[in-house]
Amino acid sequence: MLNVAHLTKRYGALTALDGVSLHVARGEFFGLLGPNGAGKSTLMSLVAGLRAADTGVLTLDGVAIVTADPSTRVALGLVPQHIALYPELSAVQNLRIFGQLYGLHGTVLRERVTEALAAVQLTDRGQDQVKTFSGGMQRRLNLVAALLHRPKFLLCDEPTVGVDPQSRNAIFEYLERLNREGLTIIYSTHYMEEATRLCSRIGIIDHGKILALGTLDELLTKLPFEEEIRFPATPTTAGLAAQLPSHGELLTLDGIHRFRPRPDYKLSAFFTLVESLGLPARLFTSQRPTLEALFLHLTGRNLRE
Amino acid sequence: MRTILVLVRKDFQNFFRNKAAVSLTFIVPFAMIWLFGNIFGVNKKDSGPSGIPLAVVNASDNPAAVKLVEALQAEKSFRVWTKFVNPDKSTRPLTEDDLRPMLREAGADVHFALVIPADLVSATGFGLHLKILSNPRNEIETQTVNGILQKTIFTTIPQLLGQSLQSSAKRLIGDDRFKQFNGAIAGAVSSAFGGDKEQIQQSIEAGDFGLGTALGGAGKTPANAADATASTDVLSRIVRIENEQVVGAQVKSPFATSIVGGWAMQFLLFAVSASAASLFRERDAGIFQRVLAAPVTRAQILWGKFLYGVSIGLVQLIVLFFAGRILFGIEVEKHLGLLILVCTFAAAACTSFGMLLAAVAPNAEAANGMATFLIMLMSALGGAWFPISIMPAFIQQFSKLTLVYWSMEGFSAVLWAGNSFVQVLPILGILGGITAVVMTIAVWRFNRGKIFE
Repeated sequence: MLNVAHLTKRYGALTALDGVSLHVARGEFFGLLGPNGAGKSTLMSLVAGLRAADTGVLTLDGVAIVTADPSTRVALGLVPQHIALYPELSAVQNLRIFGQLYGLHGTVLRERVTEALAAVQLTDRGQDQVKTFSGGMQRRLNLVAALLHRPKFLLCDEPTVGVDPQSRNAIFEYLERLNREGLTIIYSTHYMEEATRLCSRIGIIDHGKILALGTLDELLTKLPFEEEIRFPATPTTAGLAAQLPSHGELLTLDGIHRFRPRPDYKLSAFFTLVESLGLPARLFTSQRPTLEALFLHLTGRNLRE
Repeated sequence: MRTILVLVRKDFQNFFRNKAAVSLTFIVPFAMIWLFGNIFGVNKKDSGPSGIPLAVVNASDNPAAVKLVEALQAEKSFRVWTKFVNPDKSTRPLTEDDLRPMLREAGADVHFALVIPADLVSATGFGLHLKILSNPRNEIETQTVNGILQKTIFTTIPQLLGQSLQSSAKRLIGDDRFKQFNGAIAGAVSSAFGGDKEQIQQSIEAGDFGLGTALGGAGKTPANAADATASTDVLSRIVRIENEQVVGAQVKSPFATSIVGGWAMQFLLFAVSASAASLFRERDAGIFQRVLAAPVTRAQILWGKFLYGVSIGLVQLIVLFFAGRILFGIEVEKHLGLLILVCTFAAAACTSFGMLLAAVAPNAEAANGMATFLIMLMSALGGAWFPISIMPAFIQQFSKLTLVYWSMEGFSAVLWAGNSFVQVLPILGILGGITAVVMTIAVWRFNRGKIFE
């Protein structure tokens, strides 16, 4: 459906996208995970036709997305990172304006606006000015404003920034429902948890390059370890920490040691060593590695640095 | 076109939802027009300055000096002070020695003083002697006071000049021959025009040559010649000026008609600049991203803003002219069709100016700062504040480069001169040309700038 090949975009000396290639199939919930400034929003803006790429090919259903040709945008819906609504106008007025920009009018527009408000539980606030809404309500309205024209392809550019957990959950459930109903979604985020929960396939992006691409399981197999053992970095555990680098990778972040054993190093050997040092078992937790760990492994940095 | 209309309607919805914007666009200018109209005494018969404090010291024993003081007291432009108030609230006549400290005093009300000295009519030469002391903090006020003083002096007591002539003649030809000469003149006047020879001779020796009666002021005697109105007649009879108003003679409220357009233009420029600055708000809120993600082009956004600016500008101008109609009786309905046309072109020129500001400024704050500076400059140069004829010649050349000047010319052509469509066409052409040039530059800058990114 969406095909991105060797896409490059520069802003002066800064290379925002550097030869990005990816493919998003119909019905996919594709995640674009990366820290701030990684190039997610630039890629979103190119796909939305807001900017032109310097080089590369960008097609939607085989049709090139061209900035100068707005007709290709009818199939797309964009949920901007900002709350892109008119705060002085009511929710209904906002939705009507954005619907009209896609050529909707009359009964169809009225019905779509009603449906959209109901979908995000804002029916009773439809006539209120958007500026009187909570941040979460504004975010939900920001989301449905992109769906009035029933696009085939939804671009969500960090749509939950600054949202309370309850509203975030409501947004997630709504997006999951839309995806189940067949909507293809590209969702950019710097929250690993969001990408993990929502996305069937994830592209990890940093410094304008796609570092890894695949399902969650596919991505995690790129790590040279299958488990991560965490324990506090205290003087008590200093002796253990000193012995571990010869058996795997040891990182220390935020006062926590993270030990990622080599595949040939058995967990039983680790716990024998712990026992021999007289350390209590309650200090240790073992977990499956996360996208955070993968990002750290790929870039040497945390996602939120 | 449908998309542009959606964008225009959206801007109107935003505008009417914003009470502050509505009041700044319509109510505040309405109030300001009312306020300025009253400040400038629009449509008042006795317009002009009033109550300017003037200290007057009369050290002369000449009876005409008393008449001068009375005339100054009767002049509405002045509030005449002749008494000095002691700390115990008792009063005494002002002296010249009181005046200088009075004028120097910080925060003093009095900035002007007139001294009528003992030698008001010179004993040794021809002419009058008066002293004006001033603290000329304001040039316009000083010129106004000097002008009104001169007018009052020469219209109230023209006989003083006669007295001076008489005094000079007396000194040159001697007392006896002077009396013989005046007697001969009085006799000749009496026998030619009638009247008592002795009374005529007394009038001549008092310096009053009877111009008021001699030149047809029937019923006026030398005794009432000091009356201000009669004396003005004296001057107007000496120099007869025929005054024919060729244009605007039928205009009911001439002053208001000539100045409301200038005020309206200034308010319009501020309103339109503010609406163009809304481009920055929409950019910063990410709304352009959403709008441009729809099948909307940048050009449609710009034309939407332009059409909205012209529409709101037109409405504002018409409302303000009707404010002038309600407050000062400007005849708007009589020329409504042409006035709407000129207002449309003026609003288009103003809107293009606002668009250019938004195109060249990096952010809303910079746009507002530039707008304030340029609007003040254009209003002053274009004649919205005062007639350009009082500006230096080289500045006047720049006036014609401003859209304020041409808009005011358009309003004047319609409301003042009552010109036809064909006569107004050149002005519309210039305003249209300004709009086209400025919008072309603005669109070019928008396409090169980052407001849509």
